[in-house]
Amino acid sequence: MTWNAFLSLLDGAGLTLLISGAGILIGVPLGFALALIRWARVPVLAPIAAVYVSLLRSTPAVTLCLLIFFAVPTLGIEIGAWTAGILTLALVTAAFNSEIWRAGLLNFPADQLEAARAFGMPAGLRLRRIIFPQLWRVSLPGLVNEATLLIKASPAIAVIGVAEITRAATRIGAQTYEPLPPMLAATGLYVAIILVLVGLQRFVEKRYGRIGAQA
Amino acid sequence: MTDSETTETVLDIRGLTKSFGSNVVLDGVSLKVGKAQTVCLLGPSGSGKSTLLRCVNWLEKPDQGSVYLSGRRIGVREGGHMAMSNAELARERARIGMVFQHFNLWPHLSVIQNIVEAPIHVQRRAKDEVMAEAEILLDRVGLAAKKDDFPSRLSGGQKQRVGIARALAMKPELLLFDEPTSALDPELVGEVVAVMKKLAEGGSTMLVVTHEMSFARETADEVILMDGGRIVETGAPGAFFKNPKTERARQFLQRYVS
Repeated sequence: MTWNAFLSLLDGAGLTLLISGAGILIGVPLGFALALIRWARVPVLAPIAAVYVSLLRSTPAVTLCLLIFFAVPTLGIEIGAWTAGILTLALVTAAFNSEIWRAGLLNFPADQLEAARAFGMPAGLRLRRIIFPQLWRVSLPGLVNEATLLIKASPAIAVIGVAEITRAATRIGAQTYEPLPPMLAATGLYVAIILVLVGLQRFVEKRYGRIGAQA
Repeated sequence: MTDSETTETVLDIRGLTKSFGSNVVLDGVSLKVGKAQTVCLLGPSGSGKSTLLRCVNWLEKPDQGSVYLSGRRIGVREGGHMAMSNAELARERARIGMVFQHFNLWPHLSVIQNIVEAPIHVQRRAKDEVMAEAEILLDRVGLAAKKDDFPSRLSGGQKQRVGIARALAMKPELLLFDEPTSALDPELVGEVVAVMKKLAEGGSTMLVVTHEMSFARETADEVILMDGGRIVETGAPGAFFKNPKTERARQFLQRYVS
């Protein structure tokens, strides 16, 4: 494998990071919104959110990606491969993230919320001051786990021609007739990305501590 | 109430009813609490005491009847039959302090943060002023040294004293206590009762659900016995504990006062 080939693999890694990162940045808050809608039993929206989550959880990312890439233009909206890739990953991970957030919400101690209500806190304040500061800490491990799964599922968007890590590696292998070195390098890159992500989680957990731990 | 003509009424509950499904929990309860008075609600579990307390600040919505706090109706808009919005209800609840059986402190906030949370974010009072008051309150409940600790580090009795300071920080017109000592180890009951006595003597208006008969006997201005969602007997503690008027009260006292 040449130096140039390795550089193209690094480009692929950059693209994987960009598209997965954007997908996670959109998908985590979107998942939170979906979870809130279901938890608060918002009329009309709650059942729609439930159907959305079920559908997205059961659709393979590859299929969804192709669907978005080919179906959205028929609505008269132009969509590039990167955008379609980001959208795919964001929509998929939002469905899984919403289940993580929702589990945290459903397990939230009722007595704390009762105290918040008794002290005159409206719903928004309860969410912001009482629930969320505890919820994100509880949900973080699950969210990071889902993020690692998403990064590893991201080669799905290669089907619409996005040259992320795996596609770049396949291409190098096809050109050099030596698939082993680029695939090993690709594996190394995934491992490095995931390790950084998990390291980040450890750092945040250490820095911000457990709920109610002594500062 | 012996001196209802002379004292201003803070809490006025009229004909409250509440059912959960076919289970009638409150069956037409009326009572008044005058300013600076302590009224103790006694009764076996399931008699509706806690539900009554939770109906006062509308944590539970009563089916019928009305609750007035210093002359203003809670839960229903002035004049009409329109229910209050959640925001309006929240404002009314902020006039009432509540102390819970299981403390219900917020574990992600330190002791002092628990106390200043609602005054700053609900009542929107100045932070410096609220913090200074919180320190005084903590001193009053004997926990000045614990102000930066988190609730997980405290004993049950200390948690409940924080719970009381948290309620007081709202400068409430009325304090509700929902079995404040029932979840405590026996040797920790005393420290909480002592704080409550000090409050009662200091002129707080208190409605207390309790099984702590010594507190009721020594501190209450009035004792109310509930059973099956109704008020069975009302009286001054001296008369109630010595010469109960009803057979039901006699039975109750035999079981609970040893």
